[in-house]
Formats: sequence, structure tokens, C-alpha cells
Amino acid sequence: MRPRWRKVFLDLFEHKGRTLLVVLSIAIGVFSIGVISGAYVIISNDMSASYAANQPANVEIRMSDFDDDLLAAIRNLHEVGDAEGRRVFNMRVRSTQEDQWVTLDIVAVDDFATNVLNLLTPVAGVSAPGRNEILLEQEAVEALRVQVGDELVFQLPGGSLKTLTVVGIVQDSLTGVDDFLAPPCGYITLSTLPRLGQAQTFNRIYASMAEGQDDVLHIRTVADDLRERIERSGYMVVRTSISLTHEHPLASTVNAILGILLALGVLIVFLSSSLIANTLNALLNQHLRHIGVMKLVGGRNRQVFVMYLVLIMAFGVLSLLLAVPLGGQGAYALSAYIAEQLGFTLQGYRIVPLAFAVQIAIGLLVPLVSGLVPVVSGSRVTVLKAISGDLAREAEAGSGSRGRVKRETGWERFQTRVTAALARRGIQIPRPLLISLRNTFRRRGRLVLTLFTLTMGGAIFIAVFNVQITLDDYISAIGRYFLADVSLDFDRPYRLSEVEQLATQVEGVVDVEGWLFLSADVLDPDGMVVENIDILAPPADSVLVSPILVAGRWIQPGDERRLAISEAILAIFPDLQPGDLLRLKINGHEEDWEVVGIFKFVGREGILAYVPYEYIAAVSNLSNRSYSFRIVTTQHERAYQVMMGERLDSCFRQNGFHVRQAQAGLATLDKASESLDILVTFLLIMALLTASVGSMGLTGTMSMNVLERTREIGVMRAIGADDRAIMRTVIAEGMVIGMISWVLGVILSLPFSLLLSSIVSLAVFETPIALVFTPTGYFIWLGLVLVLSAVASIVPARNAARLTIREVLAYE
Amino acid sequence: MDANVVMVESQDALLAPQVLIELHEVVKVYHSEAGDFSALKGITAMVSRGEFLGIVGKSGAGKSTLLNMISGVDRLTSGEVRVRTEGEQISVHHLSEDDLALWRGRTIGVVHQSFQLLPMLTLVENIMLPMDLSGRYQARASRARALELLQMVELEEHANKPPAFISGGQQQRVAIARALANDPLLIIADEPTGSLDSVTADHIFELFQQLVEKQGKTIVMVTHDNSLVPRFTRTLHLADGSLVAPPTSEHAVGAAADPTRRRFSLFGGKRQ
Repeated sequence: MRPRWRKVFLDLFEHKGRTLLVVLSIAIGVFSIGVISGAYVIISNDMSASYAANQPANVEIRMSDFDDDLLAAIRNLHEVGDAEGRRVFNMRVRSTQEDQWVTLDIVAVDDFATNVLNLLTPVAGVSAPGRNEILLEQEAVEALRVQVGDELVFQLPGGSLKTLTVVGIVQDSLTGVDDFLAPPCGYITLSTLPRLGQAQTFNRIYASMAEGQDDVLHIRTVADDLRERIERSGYMVVRTSISLTHEHPLASTVNAILGILLALGVLIVFLSSSLIANTLNALLNQHLRHIGVMKLVGGRNRQVFVMYLVLIMAFGVLSLLLAVPLGGQGAYALSAYIAEQLGFTLQGYRIVPLAFAVQIAIGLLVPLVSGLVPVVSGSRVTVLKAISGDLAREAEAGSGSRGRVKRETGWERFQTRVTAALARRGIQIPRPLLISLRNTFRRRGRLVLTLFTLTMGGAIFIAVFNVQITLDDYISAIGRYFLADVSLDFDRPYRLSEVEQLATQVEGVVDVEGWLFLSADVLDPDGMVVENIDILAPPADSVLVSPILVAGRWIQPGDERRLAISEAILAIFPDLQPGDLLRLKINGHEEDWEVVGIFKFVGREGILAYVPYEYIAAVSNLSNRSYSFRIVTTQHERAYQVMMGERLDSCFRQNGFHVRQAQAGLATLDKASESLDILVTFLLIMALLTASVGSMGLTGTMSMNVLERTREIGVMRAIGADDRAIMRTVIAEGMVIGMISWVLGVILSLPFSLLLSSIVSLAVFETPIALVFTPTGYFIWLGLVLVLSAVASIVPARNAARLTIREVLAYE
Repeated sequence: MDANVVMVESQDALLAPQVLIELHEVVKVYHSEAGDFSALKGITAMVSRGEFLGIVGKSGAGKSTLLNMISGVDRLTSGEVRVRTEGEQISVHHLSEDDLALWRGRTIGVVHQSFQLLPMLTLVENIMLPMDLSGRYQARASRARALELLQMVELEEHANKPPAFISGGQQQRVAIARALANDPLLIIADEPTGSLDSVTADHIFELFQQLVEKQGKTIVMVTHDNSLVPRFTRTLHLADGSLVAPPTSEHAVGAAADPTRRRFSLFGGKRQ
């Protein structure tokens, strides 16, 4: 090997700790990018492929009961490829081993063997249940804590109990896929329906298009046509929804979330580049004499430049060797986790060429770019400066020319004056601490880069906690749109007064409200159905709903044909304002309704509208009666709500009421929160990776500082400083940097929290939400940054303490 | 006559092919906040091929600065330095930094007081480095030459050791071997014996004398040690940035005529 390349090779391993720091910091960035870009590609492909493989219906129509005749007529339509009927209803279910009831959506399928739409993927047991048997979706298995072979107890509306046997576990990647409030599912045959007190008829049509399965306009036209035909046949259509065959409904959300993670990955790479720049600056300072010698014996700028460029590339290659295989594994693990959560199947482990290429590009380019400035300036240094070590002195003294007398800077004057002022007031800062404080600010360029890395890590860390609390707060807020402590639903309408009278006899009940629900279609000016809306009708003066209004007002007593509507309507009518009229089709009648207010909700949950109960009850001949009641209890914890739900359920059943379900409000919301917790966990992992790069930056800085102050440490030793004093000086410096970064992180966390919460809320809720702050992130980061600073300083401090006077005075 | 102009002793040296270095009105001023400092105040001198020139003076006289002007390590404020190599005369300070490095690598061997060996490379690799950078020798040939040079300075058995494993005197011999790597016409040495004990320093000096006599090298050496004056073929005395007359002219004449100089052995550094 030629001597100059041998020098490069030996330089790489001269300071193993330094090499390790640089390699790890690049590797963390490359790994993050590899994991996220790999997962992005795998999920983009497999999510839609898995979705399409299960033959999703393009149109789902929820309607009144129908039989095979209507289904046959629909199948005969030339636009329709296939059509199937199913019956979907919900029931309270529990395992024989548990007391806890769970609400289950039960899907009755005509024939599992011939079913061609919305297919299920078998996971365990049989794939087609027999009579009085049930298949459970994986999520239902977790909620009910049962396994194949167990018995499930079903509570019928009249209160009687029936059992079915769990014969298989399936994965359903289609039903309720885009509704994070949807209950888990079970699947039975039509022959089991009578056992559960249900009619052997269908109430949903699932249809696929003969052609244009990914053409949203075509599907919508066919769906409208179907709807009209069905309504003309005398059936009532409750809701129509459409899906594309090759686009998973959550694809855009998952991609947006992966996009956020990718942005954080890019940030990590960016931060690691500042660590690389710092380290290379220090390395070139230490190598100044070597560069001088090389130039003295004939080395040209280009040769020196190429040598150090190769050194940088070697850092990159080493980090790639570490990060690429781990990144590939991580990408698949992340994809598998997301696939499990969203209920789709991956096509198997594979190397993603794009992620591989991106990792290699980043692993080589980032160190190259970040190291370019120090390397260019290092390679251009003149022989005289290099040999005499002038540059090191310049950086230290902040002056440029040979022989220049160093002047006291403003900062130094400030330090001296503060120390003197404190001393006059009897506050004596111990000298070792004073040394630490002054050392902190000696290498300002390095300090700025270190602070930048740590501050960014801290700001993201704090922001993630704020985002988590913001999301939770919003989930609670949207929960208040339709949930109370207990929601009590009946199979038939009951008078408000009789429900209220009985409910208030149950200890802990504070208030009871009767709500009504109906579905409507929004029509465009041409009379075409453009979207379904769910209309909720609480009492106009309901204490339960706390809307987040965007425009206009909330519903009031006396409002007739007036509604408050969620802002998802703006996607259809962007110029809609309070006071405008909206044409709706309710129960087959077209009516103009005045919009009185627009409020925030979750975009993907569809359009929600509120009208006063009093008006809907009057026009529906349900005055002072309702199917659904919202009950407020004295306490609002989940356990209490569950207990009250059980108590109300048994009380009403005992009194002859046909209870469908009594559900704790938080049970539904917790499910939504849990799905968001996954996102928060990922964000937190990214924040910790960022923080780890920051602490590596600090370790690097402290090591470089100690190395450059070897002589100073020797002098301190010579005048009596013991190991502990030396270590204290170094660790205190690290802690000072940590504290400064915390203060800056606190400030920077504000815009970061705003940005992150707005991106996440747009991805998840499809609407920006108000930021909420929590002190948790600030305090945890304070503790963490102090621990990280101490840990980052300990190794350099120990190295400093180990130096003997002879070693340090012989330094250079 | 201008005090800063020293005429070469032999009129033959004025003949162009014999003159290796020409310094013309070389001025070097350092600017600082404390004021300007003139390190060289218009030096004019010539160095002939085959000379062993000593630049003598006290600390701060401008000796090293003058040496840096010749090697192009530092830039002059005004004046000119011309070096004649391979038939053409190069105006050193008109070359770019890069061209200077290449020219220096091929034309000049530099020896420093502090040896300036790269600590991570072995001795043989240190000697191979200038050959590698200049591209003048193939890798195998450069290794063979480096070993030859190590043999010349009697350190071949340490070829694969790093510099830290040999003594200061041995390191300086390696530095000399490295200075010879590209077979330069000119060797400049800045206090090469300054950090060595007297016996070792004497050996190193003998080595330089051998290079002049046996290999016809031209050596310009800076020293503050007046006792070495008789051993140079010629000396320039520097004080406060100006050339001055030698303290006693007999020294120079005596040294030039010293018959014992020819009895130095290149190998081993002992008088025969």
C-alpha cells in the first residue's frame, strides 16, 4: 500500500472512539432513513396488494332488510361485476371465562365457500364456520381473550343468552378498515342468525364493478344508480360508501405518517452531519502538522484533499456496513408491525432497492458534504501555518495573524465582570467550576454545532410529548360529540321520562339525555348524491356536546331544518358558510337545510351533522321518545363507566327493556387513543434516536476538548488537582452544555410542537387541531439531558484523569 | 556596497549554470496589531551548486524566515527568489501553492529541527512518502530506494518501526533520508542539530558534509551555533533581518580550507 493510503487507513483506527462516534452517528441516520424508506416502499406495495387480493367491494350499501331476489337483480346489472348480500349487526358478547361484555359487529355471510368479495384471510382453525359456529377477527380474539374451541356467550336484546363456538380466527383487512372507532368483528353463516334472534335476511349489499374498479367517478355513478334502483324497489338505503380496488383507504394516512417519520430521519441525518463536521474539524486540526509535513515533502492540495476525502468515505462505508443490513431488517419489522395493526398481509421479506440506494447515497454523501468544508480548508492550509500549528492557536485565540497580540473579547470581559461582581457580593464560584464554565465557551464553533444537535433532539423530544397530549385531548374532544359516560341503546323506542326515571334510580347517574340518529345524503346542485352524512340529534341544550366551532354557532332550541355540520363538508363545498343552504335527501325526501355552524371533527369518519332532538323527534313521530340514551355519571374513569354500564344494563333488562347495548364511553375512545399511541411511540423512538445523536455529539465534543487541553490538564495536575477535580471540571462542562441545550430546546419545542401536531393532525384527523402543552416532556428531557451530558462527559473525564503529568507535558 | 548584498567568493559562481539560488532584495514584513515587524530587510545573495552554505545568526535574526523564502514555505513581501533546476530558472514566489508543493517535492529536500516524521507511518514509509506524492517512482521502486536510503543512514534494521521507537538522532537521520528521497539538488535544513546532543549532532553534521562531497548536493543550513561556522563552505550572517559581516572573516576562510573535511565518512560519521 502506498504510504499516503496507509496513512489514511491508520488514521481511521488511530482514535477508535472517535471513529466509532462518527460511524455510529452516520449509521443512526442511515438506519432511520433505511427503515422508513424501506417500510414506505413495502407498505405502499403490500398494503394495496393485500387489500386488492381480498377483493374489496367497490360499493357498500347499508339498507333495510332484503332477500335473494333483490340481490339477483343487482347481479344482473351489466355495470356490476359481482354482488353479495350480508347481514351485519352488533351484539354484546363475552367469553364463558370472563364477565366483561364486548360489543361485536357480527357479519352473516351466505356461503363462505363461494364468497368472492371482501374475502377473509384464515389465520387459525377453519375458514368456514358451520351452524352455531363463529369465526373471529384477530382483534376480536384479543378483546374477548378467547381461542379456537372456546365458547362465546351472546346476549340477545330480550336478555336471553346464547352460545356459539369459536372455530377459527381470520384476518379481515377490509371491514371497518378506515374507522378507528369501529368495533371488532365476528363471522357466522346465515343459518346461525335465528339462534341470535336475527332474521335470515341481508341488510348490506357489497358489489364490485365489472370495469373501472379504480375509477372513483364511475364507481360513484354506479353506486348512485344502484341506490336509486333499490329505493325505487321500496327499500330504504341508510348509507352508501365506495372504495377503489387497488387503493387501501388508509394508504394516504400511513404514507403521511411515514412521511413524518422520514422527515425526522432526515433531521437525524442532518444532525449527525454536524457531529461529523465537528469531528472532522477537530481531526484536521490535530492533523495540521501531518498536512504540513506532506506539503513540505511535495504533497499538493489535491492529494491532501483526496486523502481526507477517502478517510471521510471510509467513515461512510463503515457506517453503511452497519446500517444497511439493520435498516433492511428494521424496515421489514416496521412494515410487519404496521401490517399487523392495520390487518393486512405482507408479501414476504425482501431488500428494497430504492431504500438500499437511498441509504448508500446518504451514507456516502452526508459525511462528504458535512466534511467538505473542513477538508477543503484543511487541505488548503499553507505549509507554514500547518507546521507551526498556527491554525490551532488561531482557533484558540480567535486571531488570524502571526505574532498578533490576543485581545480580550467582549464575552471574556463579561465573564470576568460577572465573576468579580459575584465575588463582591460574597459569592465565590469555585475555581474548577469557573474553569468548566469558561472552557464551555472557548471553542464557540464547536459549541454551536454541539448545542444545535442536542437542542434539536430535545426540542423534538419535548414536541412529541406535546403532540401526544394534543392528540389525546382531541380524541376526548371528538368523543364528546357523541359519547357520554354510558351510551344506552335499545331495540325499540322508549319514552324519555320512563328511561330517565329508571336510570336515575341507579346510584351514580347524574343526567340522562335521549338522542336520535338518522342518515342523509348530501346532494349537489344537479341533484346527484355526493356524500352521506350522519345526523345526530341531541337535545338542543345538551350538556354533553362541547363542539369546536370553526364558523357560525351551535344548534339552538327552536332550530328547524337548521344544522351544524362538520368541516369535512368543505371538501365538497369549499365555499360553504353559515347561513348557506344545503340540499339533503332524508328518508327519500329532498329538503333544503340551513347551515348554522361548522365544527371540527375527524375527516375520515365522514360528515357529521347536529340538529336539535326536538325537531327530529317531532318530524319522525318520536316525540319524547328515543332508541338511544346518553347517561352522565358522577365519575368519569373508564372502570367506573364500565361498572355503571353493567349496572344500567342489568337494571333495564330486569325491568323488561329491550337493551341492545350499554357501552362505556372511554372503552371506545381508548381504542382510538391506543391506535394513536402507536404513532406517538414511533415519534418517540425517532426523538430518542435524535437525542442519541445529540449525546454522541456531546461525547465527541468533550473528547476533543479534553484532547486539546491535555497540556492544561497537566498544569492543573502539576499544581495539585487530583483525579476527582479533573473529572469534575470536565463533567461540569458537559452538564453546562446540557443545561444550555435544554433551555434552547424548551424555546425551540414551541414551533416544533406546532409543526408536528399540525402535520400529524392533518394526516390522522384530516384537520388541524389546537396544540396542548404538557410539562412531562420538559421534565423528562431535563432529566435525560443531564444524564446524557454526564454520561457523555464521563469517558473523556476519566481519560483526562488518567493522564500523568509526564504524559501531558510531553504532549505535542 | 549595500550591506545586504554578499558577493559569492568565486567569480565562476556568477556564471549562470553554477548559480543555484538567487535572492534579490528579499523583504518579509509581518503585520500585526502590535505593529509591523520586518523579518527580512532586503536580502540579496546567491548560492552556487555544491555549496554547503550556513546561515548563522541569533534567535529572531530571520534565519528560518530566509530559509522559508528559499523553499517557498512562506511568501515574501517583496523581492524575488530564483532557483535554477533542470536547466530552467524558477521564480519561486510566482508559483501557486500547488505548483510550489510539487516543485519543492521534486527539487528540495527539507530537514527540520523537530524531524517532522509522520508518527503513524514506519520509517521506510516515511521515506517513501515524498516519492509517492511526487509520482516520480513506482511503488516497488520507491520502496527499494527508501531501503537504500535507510541503509545509507545505517537504519535499515529499523525500517518497519514507527518513528517513536527510535532515538532523536536516528529520527533526524531518517528525516535526512526522506529529504533525499526524490534525489533533489538542494537540501535545506533548519537547525537540524538543534534538538540533539553534541555527539549525535556531530554525526548528523558529518552526514550533511558527506552529501555535499560525495553526492554533490547543495545544502543550505540554518544554525544559531557559531561553532559550526568553520565547517560550512560558506556562511551568511544574519542579524535583525539583514546580512552582516562575519564576526571574524578568518573563520570562514579557514573553514573553507579545512583539510579534515574531506576525511568524514558518510557511513558511520567517524573521522578516518
